[in-house]
Amino acid sequence: MNNKNIKAWVGLQQHAEEMADIHLNDLFQSDDNRFDSLSILDGHFLLDLSKQRITVETLDKLVNLARQQKLASWIDQLFAGEKVNISENRAALHTALRLPGNELKEIDGQAVTADVHQSLAKMGRLVKQIQNGQWRGFDGSPIKSVVNIGVGGSNLGPLLACDALEQYASEELGGLDIHFVSSMDGSELEKLLPTLEPATTLFIISSKTFSTVDTLANANTAREWLLKASQISAERVIQHHFIAATGNPKAAKAWGVPKKNQLLFWDWVGGRYSMWSVIGMPIALKIGMGHFRDMLKGAHQMDKHFKAAPFEQNLPVLLGLVGVWNINFLNIHAHAILPYDGRLAQLPAYLEQLEMESNGKSINRDGERITYRTCPVLWGGVGSNAQHAFYQLLHQGTEAVMCDFIVPARRYEDNGEELQQQHDLSLANCFAQSRLLALGQGALEQDVNSKDYQHYDGNQPSTSILLDELTPETFGGLIALYEHKVFVQSVIWEINPFDQWGVEKGKQVATSLLNELDHVTGEQRLDSSTQGLLKYTQSKRQVGGGYEG
Amino acid sequence: MRVNVYGSSLAAWVATACLAKVGNEVVINETMACDNKELNDISVIRDEAGLLDELQRQMDQGRVSRQSKDSIVKADIYWLALESNEFELAEKIIGQLRGLRSMKTLVVSQCNFSVGATASLQSHLGNAGDVVYIPDNLQEGVALKGFSTPKRIILGLDNDAALTKVKALLRPFSSKLEGLQIMSSREAEFTKFAITGMLAIRLGYINELANLADQLGVDISVVQDGMGADPRIGRHYLSPGCGFGGQNFHEYVSKFSGVLKDHRQQSLLKTVVDENEVQKELLFRKLWRYYDGKLSGKRVALWGVSFKPGSASIDNAPSLKIIEALISQGVYVRAHDPEALDNLRARYGDKKLVSFHEDHMEVLENVDGLLLVSEWPLYWSPNYDELYKKMRQPLIIDGRNIFDKEMMELHGFDYLGVGR
Repeated sequence: MNNKNIKAWVGLQQHAEEMADIHLNDLFQSDDNRFDSLSILDGHFLLDLSKQRITVETLDKLVNLARQQKLASWIDQLFAGEKVNISENRAALHTALRLPGNELKEIDGQAVTADVHQSLAKMGRLVKQIQNGQWRGFDGSPIKSVVNIGVGGSNLGPLLACDALEQYASEELGGLDIHFVSSMDGSELEKLLPTLEPATTLFIISSKTFSTVDTLANANTAREWLLKASQISAERVIQHHFIAATGNPKAAKAWGVPKKNQLLFWDWVGGRYSMWSVIGMPIALKIGMGHFRDMLKGAHQMDKHFKAAPFEQNLPVLLGLVGVWNINFLNIHAHAILPYDGRLAQLPAYLEQLEMESNGKSINRDGERITYRTCPVLWGGVGSNAQHAFYQLLHQGTEAVMCDFIVPARRYEDNGEELQQQHDLSLANCFAQSRLLALGQGALEQDVNSKDYQHYDGNQPSTSILLDELTPETFGGLIALYEHKVFVQSVIWEINPFDQWGVEKGKQVATSLLNELDHVTGEQRLDSSTQGLLKYTQSKRQVGGGYEG
Repeated sequence: MRVNVYGSSLAAWVATACLAKVGNEVVINETMACDNKELNDISVIRDEAGLLDELQRQMDQGRVSRQSKDSIVKADIYWLALESNEFELAEKIIGQLRGLRSMKTLVVSQCNFSVGATASLQSHLGNAGDVVYIPDNLQEGVALKGFSTPKRIILGLDNDAALTKVKALLRPFSSKLEGLQIMSSREAEFTKFAITGMLAIRLGYINELANLADQLGVDISVVQDGMGADPRIGRHYLSPGCGFGGQNFHEYVSKFSGVLKDHRQQSLLKTVVDENEVQKELLFRKLWRYYDGKLSGKRVALWGVSFKPGSASIDNAPSLKIIEALISQGVYVRAHDPEALDNLRARYGDKKLVSFHEDHMEVLENVDGLLLVSEWPLYWSPNYDELYKKMRQPLIIDGRNIFDKEMMELHGFDYLGVGR
């Protein structure tokens, strides 16, 4: 099937031609009620789409496109545990990870809810034991520091959540120091280990497959560090200092992690959708199981909204559709994520993976090459800092960029006036930037003397997402909002957002090159560039070795 | 004289007993709702050796009466022995006293509120009377003796006019008095905190040395003798052990460490308090290492669970941390204590892993180790052969270094002390 042939798609193309020359400034000038008709308030969230280059008519047409692409049926399949991940023949049931215990769900005869809650309960017991100071290191000392070893989905989600919700940590929760290491080059461990006490440090190896080379390399370094410090057997070191959060208990066992130290999840949880599972253990250790469950609750509320709300009022649906509009009809292929809250500094990195690993694809579900654009390049940073970095390009560059402005309305309510004023400053900047990006000169006083290089074109579209405040619950809802937005777009584009074949091969190629680093075996036919790089490296690693280009 | 005592703490009851014993008529105003509990149902009274008997005697002779009404009975002296967090209550009482419009009222405060609290109460009372501060010398276990025959009294006083009355009040307790030090109330308050903190630091230091001695294979008791012989140091408060506890000591030290921390970012005392909490688990860690962390299903006996011998109190006692750690590992805990079993039962009665034993030898049946936590005299010279026979594994971990290491090893025990 070719998307371009479907009626709604063609209708949108025609509509886009009509909209092409209309400036956002004109849209605001001609309609005083624009905000009211193009913003949605639901629960703890306000989604303002009025600074997008759309009209009510555009939204109607986009919703129509969603209907023609059978979005409702896809949502049903997603939630029902159908095998929507066709290339791996699996369900994608991250929504089941946040189901309340009394909402039963089965797939293929498996009592999913019961499994989920059993796994969470085991995690809760370990979390409590560690927080109470009753998990013991090799010399009987209580654990003070926890290091999460994981990469990608086993790193970015927990890291983001721990950062975002730090204020919910407390001495009563054990006052644990939570660290994250991910990079395969060991840079983080090299810096971290000398600051830790081996006897009071616990490592969580987070890996769905338990075969990720980055993670295992870090885990081995950590294990050696403990062996040296403790002078006891590897078996006991692992028993007292390593927990595995994994979908592959066999491999974890083979590495030495005993069953009682294993926290399990299932193949129907994608890595980048896994922070709701036992992969979220660092979050629970930091903010407590109660707050962790609040985070699940917030995500579950967003799930219910996504399932039940009419498309016209549905936050993830609209967020996704407006993205499709920008990408496929306005030809905007860069997307900036701009939280105006330092606690969400990791959000851009998190969404880079969620969006680009999910929808960065060019083959459709039927295995055909597609002819339209999919996921854009996505990046970002804390908005107020990015103002001093890449906003120049947003305001006066040649690239069209769509932006998401994300900010909580309330903050620092118990923290004194000075900090509240800083939040006010941040809010003012957030609102000012989206206004200036949209309206350009229209937002400014007319100045006849202004030079061309002082001119702001405007017309850069943006969405503002406002949260009441940042809590475990709203945080859970925010992440679920983006998860579902990604799914909506994948349905429109007819791609499978739940696999990631594009990241598999690189690992194999690297493994085969590892041997070549010590000496060129010549067993592989390598391109001249790779040969040149290998040769240079070898020459620099040999004492006194010279390099002949 | 007529004395009104305010408070529900050990200090309040001790003052009541001792002031009545020398002929004063004492009304004790219990500030915490005791619901007219019988004296022997009040744990601070029951836990302090001799206190219950003395109070009963003074009540029988009509010199002590209890009052829980919120009204003021006129008296010559008002004696405040409130908890350190009851400053607002103290202000309220002072307010009532001011309302009495009596002639020069004397208020003696033994409360460890903070530096400057007495002066603040004085300004509250205005010229209706004087507030003086006499820090307590309360040592749990020997509290009556400490009150009746102190060697030193510190008197914090901001107005000399009160001195005569205070001296008259203290005269019956002066038989062994070597020094009455008079200073301003702020200085007296500071001194009280400083003394307590200093003692804690000594204990913290010797414990740290003991742990190092453990690792270096040095016997800390030899080092301790060497240090104590130096007159600049002396021998008191120089015995390593498995952490200090007790309601008062712990509370003062923590409070003062908080004051220090408010004024300076880092506090030496804060470190000592934190390290003491770690030290309380020392015996557990020794047991853990002995059994390579495989503790589940083991049976362990505890000798002495009160925070120190002579007291039934288990407040902040090291035994609590040890028991928590043991049951978390699935260890059967068999506890013995001459006085504190009831208090321990109130806390762990519902835990299947903990059992309570009246006989200090019976508690050892088939155990995989004995942890000596609190050094009651009863434990000092046991029948070693019987001890050895009863235990499944002859392991003794001595948290107070009361046994002779060589002697124990001669009898076939595996002996682990603190720093030995």
